[in-house]
Amino acid sequence: MNKLLILVVEDDPAIRNLMATTLKSHNYRFVTAPTGASAIMQASTAQPDVMLLDLGLPDMDGVDIIRKIRTWSQMPIIVISARAEDTDKIDALDAGADDYLTKPFSVEELLARLRATQRRLQFMQTSTPSPIFSNGQLKIDYAAGCAWLGEQQLHLTPMEYKLLCVMAQNVGKVLTLSFITQKVWGSTTESDIASLRVFMATLRKKLSAGKEDTQYIQTHIGVGYRMLKVE
Amino acid sequence: MERVIHEHILVCLSSAPSNANTIRAAAKLSQAFGGTMTALYVQTKNFDQMGAEDRQRLHRHTRLAEKLGASVSTVTGDDVAFQIAEFARISKATKIVLGRSAVPKGRFYAPKPLTEQLVELAPYLDVYIIPDSAGKNQRRQNPATKQRILPSIRDVVITIGILTLSTGIGFAFHRLHFTEANTITVYILGVLLTALFTKNNVCSGISSLAGVLLFNFFFTEPRLSFRAYASGYPVTFAIMLFSSLLTGTLANRLAIHVKRSTQTAWRTQVLLETTQQLGQAEDETDILEVIADQLLKLLNRPILLQCKNGTVIRRFPDGEPPEDFPDAATQRFSFQSGGEPLGDVLVYGNALEPLESGILHSILGEGVLAIENRRNARQKEEAAVLAKNEQLRANLLRSISHDLRTPLTSISGNAENLLTSGDRMEDADKRRLLTDIYEDAIWLIRLVENLLSITRIGEGQTRLNMTTELVDEVITESLRHIRTKTHTIETDFADEILLAQMDARLISQVIINLVDNAVKYTPEGTKICVSARKQGDQILVRVADHGSGIPDERKPRVFDMFYTGNGRNADGRRSMGLGLHLCQSIIHLHGGEITLTDNTPNGCVFAFTLPISEVTINE
Repeated sequence: MNKLLILVVEDDPAIRNLMATTLKSHNYRFVTAPTGASAIMQASTAQPDVMLLDLGLPDMDGVDIIRKIRTWSQMPIIVISARAEDTDKIDALDAGADDYLTKPFSVEELLARLRATQRRLQFMQTSTPSPIFSNGQLKIDYAAGCAWLGEQQLHLTPMEYKLLCVMAQNVGKVLTLSFITQKVWGSTTESDIASLRVFMATLRKKLSAGKEDTQYIQTHIGVGYRMLKVE
Repeated sequence: MERVIHEHILVCLSSAPSNANTIRAAAKLSQAFGGTMTALYVQTKNFDQMGAEDRQRLHRHTRLAEKLGASVSTVTGDDVAFQIAEFARISKATKIVLGRSAVPKGRFYAPKPLTEQLVELAPYLDVYIIPDSAGKNQRRQNPATKQRILPSIRDVVITIGILTLSTGIGFAFHRLHFTEANTITVYILGVLLTALFTKNNVCSGISSLAGVLLFNFFFTEPRLSFRAYASGYPVTFAIMLFSSLLTGTLANRLAIHVKRSTQTAWRTQVLLETTQQLGQAEDETDILEVIADQLLKLLNRPILLQCKNGTVIRRFPDGEPPEDFPDAATQRFSFQSGGEPLGDVLVYGNALEPLESGILHSILGEGVLAIENRRNARQKEEAAVLAKNEQLRANLLRSISHDLRTPLTSISGNAENLLTSGDRMEDADKRRLLTDIYEDAIWLIRLVENLLSITRIGEGQTRLNMTTELVDEVITESLRHIRTKTHTIETDFADEILLAQMDARLISQVIINLVDNAVKYTPEGTKICVSARKQGDQILVRVADHGSGIPDERKPRVFDMFYTGNGRNADGRRSMGLGLHLCQSIIHLHGGEITLTDNTPNGCVFAFTLPISEVTINE
C-alpha cells in the first residue's frame, strides 16, 4: 500500500541520503530536490503526494516555497528545520505546512509522521463531504451539533465543542495556537491562549474517558495542537 | 603605585594683541606635556563697553585657541583671579599660562598683581607668564579703569552728606571752644563712614582730601581761606590726610572682607548641600536633577538643562513655566568631561551676578565629577561582569571540547570498524557497535540542546519566550523525550488546572534534565515519580527517585557549573556538570526556586517552583 510518492527537498547530501535510504527500505517512492527552485519544479511536474521540506535551503526561504506551492496544491508538507526556534515552525505552519520535524530527528519519528500523513490523505480522499465526522471512537454530528465517544454522548460546553470542531476539520494537521484562537475567539491575546489551554485540558479529559487509552489530541510544546487520525 | 599625571593647561583669553602669542605658547606647552588645553575667558562687567576692535581681536583669539586644540570656556565675574582659580580647581587644571599684559604693574595703590592673587588662591597651580614682546609700552586705556573711577550718584551723595555733617559738627565744636584735634577726629570718622557706606574706594580718597581742605578753609586761622598762619599746620594737614587715607583704605578692606566671607560661607553651604545630594544620586539622571534643583535654588530663575544624551530637564521658580516665558536664554553654560561635551545649562531672566555664576560653575563642576565617578564605577562593573562571563565561556569551551572527544571517538571508531570489517563481523557484534554509535549520538544531541539553552538564557530575560502553559501538558510532553527501558516513570497531577507563565521549551528542558539524571544515577528497576501541585501561589513540580541519594555535604554544590560529584553515572559516562546548573538558571529566570531534598526511605527529590498564573477564561 506504500504507493505514496514523496518529494524530499534537502540541500545536505548526507541527510538526503539518510532520508532516501529510509524511504527506500520502507517501500516509499521518492524524488529528491537539492534547491528551492528545483523543488518547485519537481512539485509541479512529478505530482508528489507528500513533500518533506528543509527550511534552510541555500537559494530560497522555506516559508516562501510553502506559500508558492499552496497557490496551486494542497499536498501535505512536512517541514524539517534545524532551527530550534519555535517561531520558524509557527511561521511555516501558518504559511500552510501541515507538520514539522526538528533536526536531529529519529528515523522512527520521520516514518511515524509519514504514516500519519498517509492516513490523513486516505481520509481526505475517501470521505465525501458528510455531516458526520468520524475518527476512531470519536464521532461528531455537525448537523445536530453534538459529539459521541463510542456509544457515549460527550457533554461538551459550547466552547469545547467549537474547539473540537476546529481540530476535527483539520485532522492530522498541526494547528498553531494563534490559528486556533483566531478560529474560536477571533483574536489572539494572552488571555485567549490561557483560555485555550484550559478548554483543551477539559476537552482532553472528556475525550480520554473512553475504554482504551487513545490519544486524540497531541500537544506540540510552544507551537500548538493536532488531532491525530486514529484507525 | 605609579600614577600618570594628566596635564591640563589653562590659558587665559583676552583682547590684548599679545594674547595670541600667549595662546601659542600654551599650545606648545600642552603639546610638550601631552596634555589637554582649555582656553578661559573671564567676562567682566566691562565686556559691554568693549570696543569693536577689541571684540574682533578677542574673537580671533578664541578661534585660534580652538584651532590649536583648546576647548573654550567662558566664566562671568569681576574678580578675575578668583574666577580663574575657581575654574582651575573645577576643571582640575595643573598649569596656567598668562600673558604679561594680563599682569597689571606699577600702579600706585593697585591691587596685588593677578599672578600673586592666583598663587594665593590656588597654590597648587603652576603659573607661567609669557612676556609681552609685541607692544612693551602699549598701555592700553582700559575703559574699565575709567569706569571704576567715577563713583555712582548714590556714593557722591553719601560722601557729600557725610562731609557736610562733619563740617556741621566741626562748627558746633568750634562754638563750644573744643580743640581743633576734635574736629580733625570728626573728619577722620567721616572718612571711615564714607569708606564703609560707599562702594567705590575713590570716594573715601576724595573725602580724605576734601576733609583736609574743609578743615583748612573753615577752622584754621584765617578762617574762610585756604591759607594757614600757624607754622605747624602743614604738618597737621599732612598727618590728617595720611590718617584719613589709611582709615579709608582699611575700612574699605574690612568691608570687602566682610562681604567676601559672607559670600564664601553661603557658597560653601550651597556647595556642601550639592555634594551631599550628589552623593545620594542613583544615576546620571538623578545627578542632573540635583544640579537643576540646586541651580534653581541658587538662581531662582527658569533653568533648562540640555544633555547630549537627549535628556532635557526644566525647572521653574513657581513649578510652572511663567506666562511671559522668554524664548531666548540669557546665558548658556556648557559642561564637559575630559573634552567630551556633556550638555548645556540655559539660564533665563536677569543676567547672573559674578558670585552666582561662580557658584554655578562650582555646582556644574561637582556634577561633572559625580557623573565621571558614576561612569567610572559602571565601567569597572561592566568590565568585571564581562571578565566573569569570559571566564565562564572559557571554562565551558574547555570542558566541552574535552568531553566531546569521548563520544566522537566512539562514533567515528565504531563506524570505521563497521565500514572496513563489517562483513566479517558477527551480527551481535555489529549490533553492539551500532548501539554504541546510536547512544553516543543521542548523548551529543542532549548536550547540544543544553548548550543552546545556555546561550539563550545567557542573553537574559528578553530572550525568554513566555507563554501561558498547562503544567501537566508540558510535563507529559517532556517525558515523551525520555526513553528508558530500565526505569518506570510515574506521573501524579493535581485535579485542578495548573497554568503558569513560562518558556515552555526551557521548562521542558529542566524536566528532561532532572528525569534524565534520575534515570542515569539510580539503579535499574527503580521508580521515578514526577508530580505537580499547587502550593500557595506557586506551582511545585517534584522529580523523586529511589536511588542512593546525595550526601548532605555535596548537596549545596550540585547546582554549580561543572560540578560532577566525584564519579561516573550508571552508564560509565562522565557528566559535564551542566545540566543541573542550567536547570537552576532557567528556574531563577522564571522567578522560581529549585531545591534538592532527601526522599523517604531513600533517594532524592529535585523540586522547583513556578509562579502560578491566574487567568480570566474567555467563554
